[in-house]
Amino acid sequence: MNKLIESKKFAALVKRNTKYYFKDKFMFLMSLLTPLILLVLFVTFLRNVYIDSFKQSFPEGFAVDNRLINGVAGAWLLSSLLSVSSVTVAFCSNIVMINDKIEGNIHDFQVSPVKGATISIAYFLSNFIVTFIVLTAIMLIGHIYLAAVGWYITAADALMIIVDIFCCTLFGTLLAGVVESFISTQGGLSAVSTLVSSMYGFISGAYMPLSQFSEGLRNTLCLLPGTYGVGMMRNHYMNGYMQAFSNAGLPDGAIISMRNSFDANLYLFGKQIPLVGMYGILLGACVILFAAYITIVIIKNKKKY
Amino acid sequence: MIIEIENLKKSFKDVNAVDDISFKVKEGELFAFLGVNGAGKSTTINIISGTLKKDAGSVKVCGYNIDENADSIKSEIGIVFQNSVLDKKMSVYDNLESRANLYGIFGSEFKTRLEEISTLLDFKDIIKRPLNKLSGGQKRRIDIARALLHNPKLLILDEPTTGLDPKTRITVWNVIEKLRKEKNLTVFLTTHYMEEAANADYVVILDGGKKVAEGTPHDLKNKFASDFIKFYSNLNQAEKALTELGLPIKRERDYLEAELESTAYVSKIFKLYPELFVDFEVLKGNMDNVFLKVTGKDLREV
Repeated sequence: MNKLIESKKFAALVKRNTKYYFKDKFMFLMSLLTPLILLVLFVTFLRNVYIDSFKQSFPEGFAVDNRLINGVAGAWLLSSLLSVSSVTVAFCSNIVMINDKIEGNIHDFQVSPVKGATISIAYFLSNFIVTFIVLTAIMLIGHIYLAAVGWYITAADALMIIVDIFCCTLFGTLLAGVVESFISTQGGLSAVSTLVSSMYGFISGAYMPLSQFSEGLRNTLCLLPGTYGVGMMRNHYMNGYMQAFSNAGLPDGAIISMRNSFDANLYLFGKQIPLVGMYGILLGACVILFAAYITIVIIKNKKKY
Repeated sequence: MIIEIENLKKSFKDVNAVDDISFKVKEGELFAFLGVNGAGKSTTINIISGTLKKDAGSVKVCGYNIDENADSIKSEIGIVFQNSVLDKKMSVYDNLESRANLYGIFGSEFKTRLEEISTLLDFKDIIKRPLNKLSGGQKRRIDIARALLHNPKLLILDEPTTGLDPKTRITVWNVIEKLRKEKNLTVFLTTHYMEEAANADYVVILDGGKKVAEGTPHDLKNKFASDFIKFYSNLNQAEKALTELGLPIKRERDYLEAELESTAYVSKIFKLYPELFVDFEVLKGNMDNVFLKVTGKDLREV
């Protein structure tokens, strides 16, 4: 009975946090706009660069439908954007937790008969929901774009993309929860969000394929679990296009070369990490982050009471 | 007793925020906790409300020991914070619903409670409005409503009228008085306003984390505050006469004030100098005088 009431209190807190976030239309719009602006900038300035890069993998004289080549470039860019946003949006959306600390609203929860851990995990879950909604909206807009320029994604892959978004969002919100547990000012939140927004795209190989880095740097970045979130997304966005290239007569060697160049295949110390391994590493990191988050919550609660 | 605190201690590094204080609060009374900022009022409230760990001493609220039953205590107290801690962009309804849920009040039970409380505090007409669109008095009423959602036995008011205009302060106090009368609610008040403390049943004054005085306002005034007589005419004559009597006097532009040992001393002056008593008044010492006497600090200046 007590557990049921505590879980109802938990659900009420998640509902309040999520509602609180969406009450600020500007906040939601900015979370959505930033990745979309990035998508527009990618398409405007980098699309041709990536189209040329894809074409470099083609054998002499290989001709292909423009929709296929435009589509694969767009899909690759969208996979980058979604995987980066899963972390950057999570860091920004955690503003509900930080605001509650700044404005003192958290005291109102702390004087209520609700466990400290319930309050903290509710912040995490509501941030997960918000980030997942924002990412799903970006995905839908991105898919409309892909449908316009060239859609070759299978239904199974489209479904797996949603699974990838779920996994990446889980990773992003847990990472944000751990890092931002120590932040209690608006300035601190801005500083961390700026740092993460500017760095994460590069260190996860989302903005630049890891294949373009030196071997040492590539191995170092492959030690970071976020890289595998990007890899998962790349696989499911590119599979359909690779199959279409194959159907169009592109040799297997060229397809493998393309997958290697664009990080659909990831290698750690020369050994290829299979797709299931990517999920394992990312979800393993989630388990570690969740344990760290719970430990921080317990220590913080013990300090107070 | 609704609150029993004995030898409570709490320090932050080398600052003794609460230094060995003991006091009791009876059920149904208006209890005032006085002190300047940093006196230890908020630290004590945070310990009572279970959000801060004490270093030593014992705290019992509504019969529960805070070390064993912090959650039971939380269910029995409602707190109105100095600054509103509700969600400004959300409606009154959403705010109260989300907070009621934390006390296990859901669905129809919440709606019934909201109906009762909105009638009691008269805010039915603003229930759908966002909090940031309300006036200061309306916001304060909602803060009080939030604190009362779960029918607490003890209402803690942490400087509830600080920053409010005089009219709103009166409104807030009318609400509190109504609650005390109708619900026999125990009210634990911290305030900077001495006139509010003067209406309390019992007062504890803190200074530097220590309890420096306690008692009913009447007892405290008798013990620590002098009475005064003010003359508004024959000022020169009055100054001469009162100086002869050896009374401490203060001459202002249009009156002369003398501090008296007791009100009874007035009859002695009247017998000796009846001609002075044309335009005058006798004032009982007030809580400002008490506070100044026991702490050496004037609350109006800190």
